[in-house]
Amino acid sequence: MLKPKAISQVLKQATTGGVKATLLLNSEGSPLAFISDSDRDARVYAAIASNIWSTFEKNGKNLMRDDNLKFLLVECEKGNVAITTVSNMLLCLVAKPEVELGILKAKTDALARHLEEPFQRMTTYTQT
Amino acid sequence: MGKSGSGKTSMRSIIFHNYVARDTRRLGATIDVENSRVRFLGNLVLNLWDCGGQETFMENYFAAQRDHIFRNVEVLIYVFDVESREIEKDMHYYQDCLEAILANSKDAKIFCLIHKMDLVQEELRTAIFDERLHELEKRSEPLKITAFATSIWDETLYKAWSSIVHSLIPNVRELESQLQNFATICEADEVMLFERTTFLVISHSSRIECSDIHRFEKISNYMKQFKLSCSKFQAQFKSMEIRQANFAAFFDVLTANTYVMVIMSDSSVESAATQMNINVARKHFEKLEVTHMPR
Repeated sequence: MLKPKAISQVLKQATTGGVKATLLLNSEGSPLAFISDSDRDARVYAAIASNIWSTFEKNGKNLMRDDNLKFLLVECEKGNVAITTVSNMLLCLVAKPEVELGILKAKTDALARHLEEPFQRMTTYTQT
Repeated sequence: MGKSGSGKTSMRSIIFHNYVARDTRRLGATIDVENSRVRFLGNLVLNLWDCGGQETFMENYFAAQRDHIFRNVEVLIYVFDVESREIEKDMHYYQDCLEAILANSKDAKIFCLIHKMDLVQEELRTAIFDERLHELEKRSEPLKITAFATSIWDETLYKAWSSIVHSLIPNVRELESQLQNFATICEADEVMLFERTTFLVISHSSRIECSDIHRFEKISNYMKQFKLSCSKFQAQFKSMEIRQANFAAFFDVLTANTYVMVIMSDSSVESAATQMNINVARKHFEKLEVTHMPR
Protein backbone atom coordinates (compact mmCIF):
# COMPACT_ATOMS: atom_id res chain seq x y z
CA MET A 1 0.00 0.00 0.00
CA LEU A 2 0.94 3.61 -0.50
CA LYS A 3 1.69 5.86 2.41
CA PRO A 4 0.65 9.22 1.00
CA LYS A 5 2.81 11.21 3.43
CA ALA A 6 5.90 9.11 2.83
CA ILE A 7 5.61 9.43 -0.94
CA SER A 8 5.24 13.18 -0.64
CA GLN A 9 8.39 13.27 1.49
CA VAL A 10 10.41 11.49 -1.17
CA LEU A 11 9.07 13.71 -3.93
CA LYS A 12 9.85 16.76 -1.84
CA GLN A 13 13.51 15.77 -1.60
CA ALA A 14 13.71 15.81 -5.38
CA THR A 15 12.02 19.17 -5.73
CA THR A 16 15.21 21.22 -5.25
CA GLY A 17 17.80 23.00 -7.33
CA GLY A 18 15.55 24.52 -9.94
CA VAL A 19 12.98 21.71 -10.09
CA LYS A 20 9.56 23.34 -9.91
CA ALA A 21 7.36 20.31 -9.55
CA THR A 22 7.61 16.57 -9.05
CA LEU A 23 4.60 14.41 -9.81
CA LEU A 24 3.69 10.78 -9.51
CA LEU A 25 0.83 9.70 -11.75
CA ASN A 26 -1.04 6.46 -12.13
CA SER A 27 -1.36 4.79 -15.51
CA GLU A 28 -4.49 6.81 -16.27
CA GLY A 29 -2.75 10.09 -15.58
CA SER A 30 -4.40 10.99 -12.26
CA PRO A 31 -1.94 12.30 -9.74
CA LEU A 32 -1.16 9.96 -6.84
CA ALA A 33 1.03 12.53 -5.15
CA PHE A 34 2.81 15.68 -6.17
CA ILE A 35 4.91 18.54 -4.88
CA SER A 36 4.37 21.88 -6.53
CA ASP A 37 3.90 25.52 -5.65
CA SER A 38 0.41 25.53 -7.00
CA ASP A 39 -2.17 22.75 -7.09
CA ARG A 40 -3.60 24.05 -10.32
CA ASP A 41 -0.30 24.00 -12.15
CA ALA A 42 0.44 20.51 -10.94
CA ARG A 43 -2.82 19.18 -12.33
CA VAL A 44 -2.14 20.83 -15.66
CA TYR A 45 1.36 19.31 -15.74
CA ALA A 46 -0.11 15.95 -14.91
CA ALA A 47 -2.64 16.09 -17.71
CA ILE A 48 -0.13 17.24 -20.32
CA ALA A 49 2.63 14.86 -19.27
CA SER A 50 0.42 11.78 -19.27
CA ASN A 51 -1.08 12.80 -22.58
CA ILE A 52 2.32 13.22 -24.24
CA TRP A 53 3.52 9.94 -22.80
CA SER A 54 0.55 7.89 -23.94
CA THR A 55 0.59 9.42 -27.41
CA PHE A 56 4.26 8.61 -27.90
CA GLU A 57 3.86 5.15 -26.47
CA LYS A 58 0.88 4.32 -28.65
CA ASN A 59 2.47 5.52 -31.84
CA GLY A 60 5.89 4.15 -31.02
CA LYS A 61 4.61 0.63 -30.39
CA ASN A 62 4.21 -0.08 -34.10
CA LEU A 63 7.59 1.33 -35.00
CA MET A 64 9.77 -0.03 -32.26
CA ARG A 65 8.17 -3.44 -31.98
CA ASP A 66 8.76 -4.79 -28.49
CA ASP A 67 10.96 -2.04 -27.17
CA ASN A 68 8.94 0.04 -24.71
CA LEU A 69 9.15 3.77 -24.26
CA LYS A 70 11.49 4.44 -21.36
CA PHE A 71 12.15 8.12 -21.07
CA LEU A 72 10.93 11.43 -22.48
CA LEU A 73 12.78 14.72 -22.27
CA VAL A 74 10.91 17.77 -23.45
CA GLU A 75 12.55 21.16 -23.81
CA CYS A 76 10.01 23.94 -23.54
CA GLU A 77 10.19 27.72 -23.71
CA LYS A 78 9.70 28.13 -20.00
CA GLY A 79 11.30 25.00 -18.69
CA ASN A 80 12.37 21.41 -19.18
CA VAL A 81 10.32 18.34 -18.47
CA ALA A 82 11.42 14.76 -17.82
CA ILE A 83 8.99 11.84 -17.79
CA THR A 84 9.72 8.21 -17.05
CA THR A 85 7.97 5.12 -15.75
CA VAL A 86 8.23 3.51 -12.35
CA SER A 87 6.65 0.07 -12.58
CA ASN A 88 3.23 0.97 -14.06
CA MET A 89 3.22 4.57 -12.88
CA LEU A 90 4.59 7.74 -14.36
CA LEU A 91 7.13 10.01 -12.73
CA CYS A 92 7.33 13.55 -14.03
CA LEU A 93 9.76 16.34 -13.15
CA VAL A 94 9.26 19.92 -14.28
CA ALA A 95 12.30 22.20 -14.02
CA LYS A 96 13.23 25.79 -14.80
CA PRO A 97 15.00 26.44 -18.14
CA GLU A 98 18.38 26.96 -16.47
CA VAL A 99 18.41 23.34 -15.27
CA GLU A 100 20.33 21.41 -17.92
CA LEU A 101 18.77 18.33 -19.49
CA GLY A 102 21.61 16.09 -18.32
CA ILE A 103 21.24 16.85 -14.64
CA LEU A 104 17.45 16.65 -14.93
CA LYS A 105 17.70 13.20 -16.48
CA ALA A 106 20.16 12.05 -13.83
CA LYS A 107 17.87 13.26 -11.08
CA THR A 108 14.81 11.62 -12.57
CA ASP A 109 16.68 8.35 -13.03
CA ALA A 110 17.91 8.38 -9.45
CA LEU A 111 14.43 9.00 -8.11
CA ALA A 112 12.93 6.31 -10.34
CA ARG A 113 15.53 3.79 -9.18
CA HIS A 114 14.72 4.60 -5.58
CA LEU A 115 10.99 4.07 -6.11
CA GLU A 116 11.17 1.12 -8.47
CA GLU A 117 11.52 -1.75 -6.03
CA PRO A 118 8.72 -0.87 -3.57
CA PHE A 119 6.34 -0.03 -6.41
CA GLN A 120 7.12 -3.24 -8.20
CA ARG A 121 5.96 -5.11 -5.14
CA MET A 122 2.80 -3.09 -4.98
CA THR A 123 1.80 -3.71 -8.59
CA THR A 124 2.01 -7.45 -8.08
CA TYR A 125 -0.77 -6.99 -5.55
CA THR A 126 -2.94 -4.79 -7.74
CA GLN A 127 -3.02 -7.22 -10.62
CA THR A 128 -5.37 -10.09 -9.98
CA MET B 1 -39.71 -14.28 18.63
CA GLY B 2 -42.27 -11.96 20.02
CA LYS B 3 -45.93 -11.19 20.25
CA SER B 4 -48.15 -11.16 17.19
CA GLY B 5 -47.88 -7.92 15.23
CA SER B 6 -44.80 -6.67 17.01
CA GLY B 7 -42.85 -6.34 13.76
CA LYS B 8 -40.60 -9.38 13.49
CA THR B 9 -41.26 -10.09 9.84
CA SER B 10 -41.11 -6.40 8.96
CA MET B 11 -37.63 -5.96 10.29
CA ARG B 12 -36.43 -9.16 8.72
CA SER B 13 -37.76 -8.01 5.34
CA ILE B 14 -36.08 -4.64 5.59
CA ILE B 15 -32.69 -5.90 6.64
CA PHE B 16 -32.40 -9.02 4.55
CA HIS B 17 -34.85 -8.78 1.68
CA ASN B 18 -34.41 -5.23 0.42
CA TYR B 19 -37.80 -3.96 1.54
CA VAL B 20 -38.39 -0.28 2.13
CA ALA B 21 -40.09 0.59 5.42
CA ARG B 22 -43.23 1.62 3.57
CA ASP B 23 -43.61 -1.76 1.86
CA THR B 24 -43.89 -3.67 5.11
CA ARG B 25 -47.59 -2.80 5.21
CA ARG B 26 -48.13 -5.45 2.60
CA LEU B 27 -46.83 -8.17 4.86
CA GLY B 28 -49.37 -10.49 6.38
CA ALA B 29 -49.21 -12.45 9.60
CA THR B 30 -46.59 -15.14 9.81
CA ILE B 31 -48.07 -18.60 10.06
CA ASP B 32 -46.14 -20.96 12.29
CA VAL B 33 -42.40 -20.64 11.64
CA GLU B 34 -40.89 -19.12 8.55
CA ASN B 35 -37.41 -20.39 7.99
CA SER B 36 -35.09 -18.28 5.95
CA ARG B 37 -31.51 -18.92 5.13
CA VAL B 38 -29.65 -15.75 4.46
CA ARG B 39 -26.20 -15.74 2.96
CA PHE B 40 -24.16 -13.28 4.90
CA LEU B 41 -20.54 -12.58 4.16
CA GLY B 42 -20.61 -15.15 1.41
CA ASN B 43 -20.19 -18.44 3.15
CA LEU B 44 -21.56 -17.59 6.57
CA VAL B 45 -25.19 -18.58 6.42
CA LEU B 46 -27.68 -17.18 8.88
CA ASN B 47 -30.60 -19.41 9.60
CA LEU B 48 -33.36 -17.08 10.61
CA TRP B 49 -36.42 -18.59 12.21
CA ASP B 50 -39.19 -16.09 12.13
CA CYS B 51 -41.74 -17.46 14.59
CA GLY B 52 -45.31 -16.34 14.20
CA GLY B 53 -46.48 -14.69 17.38
CA GLN B 54 -50.13 -15.54 17.65
CA GLU B 55 -51.02 -17.17 20.93
CA THR B 56 -51.91 -20.57 19.52
CA PHE B 57 -48.52 -20.77 17.86
CA MET B 58 -46.74 -19.62 20.97
CA GLU B 59 -48.38 -22.28 23.10
CA ASN B 60 -47.43 -24.81 20.49
CA TYR B 61 -43.76 -23.77 20.52
CA PHE B 62 -43.49 -24.28 24.24
CA ALA B 63 -45.29 -27.58 24.21
CA ALA B 64 -45.11 -29.77 21.13
CA GLN B 65 -42.23 -28.15 19.27
CA ARG B 66 -40.10 -27.23 22.27
CA ASP B 67 -37.09 -29.31 21.24
CA HIS B 68 -37.38 -28.47 17.60
CA ILE B 69 -37.51 -24.73 18.09
CA PHE B 70 -35.14 -24.14 20.93
CA ARG B 71 -32.32 -26.51 20.16
CA ASN B 72 -29.04 -25.25 18.66
CA VAL B 73 -29.95 -21.62 19.04
CA GLU B 74 -27.07 -19.17 18.66
CA VAL B 75 -29.07 -16.04 19.16
CA LEU B 76 -32.55 -15.38 20.48
CA ILE B 77 -34.03 -12.14 19.29
CA TYR B 78 -37.15 -11.23 21.17
CA VAL B 79 -39.19 -8.35 19.85
CA PHE B 80 -41.40 -6.32 22.15
CA ASP B 81 -44.01 -3.90 20.91
CA VAL B 82 -43.51 -0.73 22.93
CA GLU B 83 -47.19 0.15 22.62
CA SER B 84 -48.39 -3.23 23.80
CA ARG B 85 -51.26 -3.15 26.28
CA GLU B 86 -50.54 -6.56 27.70
CA ILE B 87 -47.04 -6.19 29.06
CA GLU B 88 -47.59 -8.83 31.70
CA LYS B 89 -48.53 -11.37 29.10
CA ASP B 90 -45.56 -10.47 26.90
CA MET B 91 -43.27 -10.92 29.84
CA HIS B 92 -44.86 -14.21 30.64
CA TYR B 93 -44.15 -15.55 27.14
CA TYR B 94 -40.69 -14.06 27.22
CA GLN B 95 -39.86 -15.89 30.40
CA ASP B 96 -41.20 -19.14 29.04
CA CYS B 97 -38.97 -18.59 26.10
CA LEU B 98 -35.91 -17.99 28.26
CA GLU B 99 -36.64 -21.11 30.24
CA ALA B 100 -36.78 -23.17 27.08
CA ILE B 101 -33.54 -21.61 25.83
CA LEU B 102 -31.80 -22.23 29.10
CA ALA B 103 -32.76 -25.88 28.94
CA ASN B 104 -31.95 -26.49 25.28
CA SER B 105 -29.16 -24.16 24.22
CA LYS B 106 -27.71 -22.42 27.20
CA ASP B 107 -24.95 -20.59 25.33
CA ALA B 108 -27.35 -18.59 23.21
CA LYS B 109 -27.04 -14.84 23.25
CA ILE B 110 -30.20 -12.95 24.04
CA PHE B 111 -31.16 -9.74 22.30
CA CYS B 112 -34.30 -7.83 23.20
CA LEU B 113 -35.60 -5.25 20.79
CA ILE B 114 -38.09 -2.72 22.07
CA HIS B 115 -39.72 -2.09 18.75
CA LYS B 116 -41.94 0.61 17.24
CA MET B 117 -40.18 3.35 19.16
CA ASP B 118 -41.34 5.85 16.55
CA LEU B 119 -44.78 5.71 18.13
CA VAL B 120 -43.45 7.15 21.38
CA GLN B 121 -42.88 10.86 21.75
CA GLU B 122 -39.27 11.72 21.24
CA GLU B 123 -38.55 13.10 24.70
CA LEU B 124 -40.10 10.09 26.42
CA ARG B 125 -38.15 7.49 24.49
CA THR B 126 -35.10 7.11 26.67
CA ALA B 127 -37.16 7.09 29.85
CA ILE B 128 -39.47 4.37 28.60
CA PHE B 129 -36.59 2.35 27.19
CA ASP B 130 -34.69 2.51 30.48
CA GLU B 131 -37.73 1.43 32.38
CA ARG B 132 -38.32 -1.55 30.07
CA LEU B 133 -34.68 -2.49 30.07
CA HIS B 134 -34.62 -2.52 33.85
CA GLU B 135 -37.70 -4.68 33.95
CA LEU B 136 -36.28 -7.07 31.36
CA GLU B 137 -32.96 -7.40 33.07
CA LYS B 138 -34.68 -8.26 36.30
CA ARG B 139 -36.84 -10.83 34.61
CA SER B 140 -34.10 -12.46 32.55
CA GLU B 141 -31.83 -13.38 35.41
CA PRO B 142 -29.53 -15.29 35.42
CA LEU B 143 -29.11 -14.68 31.69
CA LYS B 144 -27.41 -11.59 30.36
CA ILE B 145 -29.35 -9.69 27.75
CA THR B 146 -28.65 -6.89 25.33
CA ALA B 147 -31.50 -4.56 24.57
CA PHE B 148 -32.10 -2.00 21.83
CA ALA B 149 -34.81 0.51 21.12
CA THR B 150 -35.68 0.14 17.45
CA SER B 151 -37.94 1.46 14.76
CA ILE B 152 -38.16 0.56 11.09
CA TRP B 153 -38.39 4.25 10.19
CA ASP B 154 -34.91 5.23 11.24
CA GLU B 155 -31.42 3.89 11.65
CA THR B 156 -31.92 2.29 15.08
CA LEU B 157 -32.88 -0.97 13.38
CA TYR B 158 -29.49 -1.12 11.69
CA LYS B 159 -27.72 -0.46 14.95
CA ALA B 160 -29.44 -3.36 16.64
CA TRP B 161 -28.89 -5.78 13.78
CA SER B 162 -25.29 -4.74 13.31
CA SER B 163 -24.49 -5.70 16.85
CA ILE B 164 -26.43 -8.95 16.56
CA VAL B 165 -24.53 -9.91 13.45
CA HIS B 166 -21.29 -8.63 14.94
CA SER B 167 -21.62 -11.16 17.72
CA LEU B 168 -21.94 -13.97 15.16
CA ILE B 169 -18.89 -13.32 12.99
CA PRO B 170 -16.06 -15.53 14.15
CA ASN B 171 -13.03 -13.44 13.19
CA VAL B 172 -14.24 -9.99 14.07
CA ARG B 173 -11.14 -9.20 16.15
CA GLU B 174 -8.83 -10.09 13.31
CA LEU B 175 -10.82 -8.00 10.85
CA GLU B 176 -10.78 -5.08 13.19
CA SER B 177 -7.04 -5.09 13.66
CA GLN B 178 -6.50 -5.39 9.91
CA LEU B 179 -8.79 -2.47 9.31
CA GLN B 180 -6.88 -0.48 11.88
CA ASN B 181 -3.68 -1.24 9.98
CA PHE B 182 -5.29 -0.21 6.74
CA ALA B 183 -6.47 3.06 8.24
CA THR B 184 -3.03 3.86 9.61
CA ILE B 185 -1.25 3.19 6.35
CA CYS B 186 -3.50 5.22 4.13
CA GLU B 187 -3.85 7.91 6.79
CA ALA B 188 -7.61 7.73 6.88
CA ASP B 189 -9.68 9.18 9.71
CA GLU B 190 -12.10 6.36 9.68
CA VAL B 191 -12.60 3.10 7.84
CA MET B 192 -15.82 1.11 7.92
CA LEU B 193 -16.59 -2.30 6.58
CA PHE B 194 -20.12 -3.09 5.43
CA GLU B 195 -21.73 -6.34 4.51
CA ARG B 196 -22.63 -6.25 0.84
CA THR B 197 -26.30 -7.16 0.68
CA THR B 198 -27.55 -5.78 3.98
CA PHE B 199 -25.17 -2.87 4.44
CA LEU B 200 -24.82 -3.72 8.09
CA VAL B 201 -21.62 -2.47 9.66
CA ILE B 202 -19.34 -5.43 10.29
CA SER B 203 -16.41 -3.61 11.69
CA HIS B 204 -14.92 -0.17 11.85
CA SER B 205 -11.79 1.58 12.90
CA SER B 206 -11.45 5.23 13.79
CA ARG B 207 -8.33 7.24 14.30
CA ILE B 208 -10.06 10.35 15.52
CA GLU B 209 -13.08 10.82 17.73
CA CYS B 210 -16.32 11.70 16.02
CA SER B 211 -19.15 13.40 17.84
CA ASP B 212 -22.00 11.60 16.10
CA ILE B 213 -22.28 8.12 17.59
CA HIS B 214 -25.14 7.16 15.28
CA ARG B 215 -23.21 7.76 12.09
CA PHE B 216 -22.72 4.11 11.14
CA GLU B 217 -26.38 3.26 11.21
CA LYS B 218 -27.23 6.43 9.34
CA ILE B 219 -24.74 5.57 6.63
CA SER B 220 -26.07 2.00 6.43
CA ASN B 221 -29.54 3.37 6.03
CA TYR B 222 -28.64 5.98 3.38
CA MET B 223 -26.42 3.71 1.38
CA LYS B 224 -29.00 0.99 1.28
CA GLN B 225 -31.65 3.41 0.06
CA PHE B 226 -29.22 4.69 -2.53
CA LYS B 227 -28.37 1.23 -3.71
CA LEU B 228 -32.05 0.38 -4.02
CA SER B 229 -32.70 3.51 -6.06
CA CYS B 230 -29.77 2.61 -8.30
CA SER B 231 -31.24 -0.79 -8.98
CA LYS B 232 -34.49 0.85 -10.06
CA PHE B 233 -32.59 2.21 -13.04
CA GLN B 234 -31.10 -1.20 -13.66
CA ALA B 235 -27.71 0.08 -12.61
CA GLN B 236 -25.45 -1.76 -10.22
CA PHE B 237 -24.04 0.36 -7.47
CA LYS B 238 -20.29 -0.09 -7.38
CA SER B 239 -18.46 2.82 -5.91
CA MET B 240 -18.68 6.49 -5.15
CA GLU B 241 -16.50 9.33 -4.09
CA ILE B 242 -17.54 12.47 -2.30
CA ARG B 243 -15.03 15.26 -2.05
CA GLN B 244 -15.52 18.52 -0.26
CA ALA B 245 -13.24 21.25 0.99
CA ASN B 246 -12.54 19.57 4.32
CA PHE B 247 -13.00 15.87 3.70
CA ALA B 248 -13.21 13.12 1.13
CA ALA B 249 -15.24 9.94 1.42
CA PHE B 250 -14.73 6.85 -0.70
CA PHE B 251 -17.18 4.03 -0.94
CA ASP B 252 -16.05 0.98 -2.84
CA VAL B 253 -16.42 -2.76 -3.18
CA LEU B 254 -13.76 -4.47 -1.12
CA THR B 255 -14.36 -8.19 -1.38
CA ALA B 256 -17.12 -10.27 -2.88
CA ASN B 257 -19.11 -9.77 0.31
CA THR B 258 -18.11 -6.41 1.65
CA TYR B 259 -18.05 -2.72 0.91
CA VAL B 260 -15.52 -0.42 2.45
CA MET B 261 -15.89 3.24 3.29
CA VAL B 262 -12.85 5.39 3.82
CA ILE B 263 -13.01 8.89 5.26
CA MET B 264 -10.05 11.19 4.72
CA SER B 265 -9.86 14.67 6.15
CA ASP B 266 -6.40 15.44 4.82
CA SER B 267 -7.12 17.13 1.52
CA SER B 268 -3.50 16.89 0.36
CA VAL B 269 -3.96 13.16 -0.20
CA GLU B 270 -5.03 12.56 -3.78
CA SER B 271 -8.13 10.50 -4.63
CA ALA B 272 -6.15 8.26 -6.93
CA ALA B 273 -3.80 7.33 -4.10
CA THR B 274 -6.63 6.26 -1.82
CA GLN B 275 -8.34 4.35 -4.58
CA MET B 276 -5.13 2.57 -5.31
CA ASN B 277 -4.75 1.68 -1.67
CA ILE B 278 -8.24 0.20 -1.64
CA ASN B 279 -7.34 -1.80 -4.73
CA VAL B 280 -4.22 -3.13 -3.15
CA ALA B 281 -5.94 -3.99 0.12
CA ARG B 282 -8.64 -5.90 -1.71
CA LYS B 283 -6.51 -8.95 -2.23
CA HIS B 284 -5.41 -9.05 1.37
CA PHE B 285 -8.94 -8.88 2.73
CA GLU B 286 -10.12 -11.52 0.30
CA LYS B 287 -7.49 -13.84 1.61
CA LEU B 288 -8.52 -13.05 5.16
CA GLU B 289 -12.12 -13.86 4.37
CA VAL B 290 -11.34 -17.20 2.77
CA THR B 291 -9.07 -18.47 5.50
CA HIS B 292 -11.23 -17.49 8.42
CA MET B 293 -14.79 -17.99 7.40
CA PRO B 294 -16.35 -21.29 8.34
CA ARG B 295 -17.80 -23.28 5.51
